Amino acid sequence: MSKMKFTGSKNYVASKELMAAVDVARVLEKPLLIKGEPGTGKTMLAEAISEAFDMKLFIWNIKSTTKAQDGLYVYDTVQRLYDSQFGEAGVDDIKKYIKLGKLGEAFKADEQVILLIDEIDKADLEFPNDLLWELDKMEFYIHETKETIKAKKRPIVIITSNAEKELPDAFLRRCIFHYISFPTKEEMDEIVRVHFDNIDENLLKYAMDTFYWIREIKEVRKKPSTSELIDWLNALLIGGIEPETIKEKLPFLGVLIKKDEDIDIVKKRRIL
Amino acid sequence: MFTEFLYVCKDKGLDISTTEWLTFMEALDKGLAYSSLEGLYNLGRMILIKTESDYDKFDLAFMEYFKNVHVEEELPADIMKFLDKGDMDTSGLNKDIYSFDTKRNKEDTKRMFRERVTEQKEEHNGGNYWIGTSGGSAFGHSGRNPGGLRVGGHTGLQTAFQVMGERKYADFRHDKTIDIRQFQIAFRNLRQFSTKLEVPKTELDLDKTIESTCNNGGFLKLEFDKPRKNSVKLLLLFDCGGTMLPFSELCNNLFQAVHKANHFKDLKTYYFHNCIYSKVYKTAECEMGDWVDLDYIFRHTDKDYKVIIVGDAQMAPEELFDLNGNYRGPNDGRSGYEWNLMFREKYKKAIWLNPRFHGNLNSLFWMESENTLAQIYDMYPLTVDGLKEGIKKLMSPR
Repeated sequence: MSKMKFTGSKNYVASKELMAAVDVARVLEKPLLIKGEPGTGKTMLAEAISEAFDMKLFIWNIKSTTKAQDGLYVYDTVQRLYDSQFGEAGVDDIKKYIKLGKLGEAFKADEQVILLIDEIDKADLEFPNDLLWELDKMEFYIHETKETIKAKKRPIVIITSNAEKELPDAFLRRCIFHYISFPTKEEMDEIVRVHFDNIDENLLKYAMDTFYWIREIKEVRKKPSTSELIDWLNALLIGGIEPETIKEKLPFLGVLIKKDEDIDIVKKRRIL
Repeated sequence: MFTEFLYVCKDKGLDISTTEWLTFMEALDKGLAYSSLEGLYNLGRMILIKTESDYDKFDLAFMEYFKNVHVEEELPADIMKFLDKGDMDTSGLNKDIYSFDTKRNKEDTKRMFRERVTEQKEEHNGGNYWIGTSGGSAFGHSGRNPGGLRVGGHTGLQTAFQVMGERKYADFRHDKTIDIRQFQIAFRNLRQFSTKLEVPKTELDLDKTIESTCNNGGFLKLEFDKPRKNSVKLLLLFDCGGTMLPFSELCNNLFQAVHKANHFKDLKTYYFHNCIYSKVYKTAECEMGDWVDLDYIFRHTDKDYKVIIVGDAQMAPEELFDLNGNYRGPNDGRSGYEWNLMFREKYKKAIWLNPRFHGNLNSLFWMESENTLAQIYDMYPLTVDGLKEGIKKLMSPR
């Protein structure tokens, strides 16, 4: 078990620091908190780990209305009330109305699993604090049935954040933290090659130059990210664009940049 | 192990808890640093540091403890500024052949560098002595001195034995001036705190009602909660005077952030030129006549409006204190100082965000206007931290 080491996967290129962070989190049995610009592959990381370690992946998507309790279990009181009015059988069995959330499911699994808590910052500010005990001890108590759910094998917990809200200190102190910075040209080159088997070297070079040139324009508000670059390369390939003309004509720019005003800025810059 | 390092980190303003430090020790015990300095750096950073805005401080602390690199070598901002002109054409400057002492060692270079930093007052490009771009001097970038110190710029020629000033994560520091996203995040606080307002519980809480009813044996029991609507009303005033020109992009970002944060109950924006007088302008161009009376604003807003004024508070004292100080419009019988006092008294909460904030420098006479205004309003620097502090002030109950 301790010999296992994360080295990225077939479809995911991880930096050395990120791989080290995954290992540290696993050995120390602490949640790994991943922060970074949109499109740097935060969510994909969990999938890659799940694939590399051959473990089942549980994804808990957090929304602005998500409460910590939803991840543990939900006691379906309405269903029970409804059933009781019609004299359904088994109303006295509370267990029937307890539904485990993603966290509960991960705890109940027989072998070690990966639990991804995606975009934790979307939820209420107190949300992470409500999970402190559960993530520390990997157990929770169901009041209605007086039952304790305890993880048989501590899941590897990956948490992602877009930095929309500050996370509470008490929560942060328990995490291993890694910030995914935007890939450098060399790293991006590697990432692109994972997605395209035989890409025309010339096309790739011109496209990448243009991509990083756009990213460096300060006035561009929404900077294109990795996923947009990949879409754009796809478009360029399908469109059969002459590589030499990319920088000049900026074909399919809408794939790369989503805001009208940004497109105008980029076009203006090109003429100058 | 390394306990001293913890205190170096604390000196740099990093808030590291005992739990985190113990985790770090545990990780070292388990050999997770892989016996290398790089491994140790990565491990320390991922366990001890929880936000990218502290990466820079950690880098400095790590450098100080493990390499004895003195941080005094941090360059004065103005020298760094001209070195950072990335677009400069330097190809022509390198053609002349300079003589340089290739035998000089690293320590000599560093010592000379420190001397230059204290001596140098202006921009230099080419030449053999000063810190600058191109040329044969041992300091700066795009030069050709093989034993030189690279200062800023890009690693083009890679002759420098040490890359200084390249603090990769300096951009993420919280005390650095901000971009629109960070502004937006800060403005969310203006909503968050507003849900904690002291208002009666008037909204039916469905979940709690169902739960209580069930606990009550099926007999209906209603539960109420405070409404979660935002009641913050915002009055925004921008200084569009000449001295604000360097900050136009920054102000534009702030403006965009406020408008995208469409969670305010009401938002009013006006503009002024250097100082608030009897009239404020409706547009950023501040054209004569395109204005409204301060009185009009007073009548159309109540004292609960939160006021944010953005300006650098740079003006001649007579612009603030003289009864005819307004050189672009009427004074209407009061000095700028009196108008500002009046304005401040109208509202319960008002803050001033200053991109040029100097803090408390009472002794300097040209700071008189800023200091006076800072006494009227709570003044904060226009940075992430400043805005957060300011918003905290706006939302505080007293």
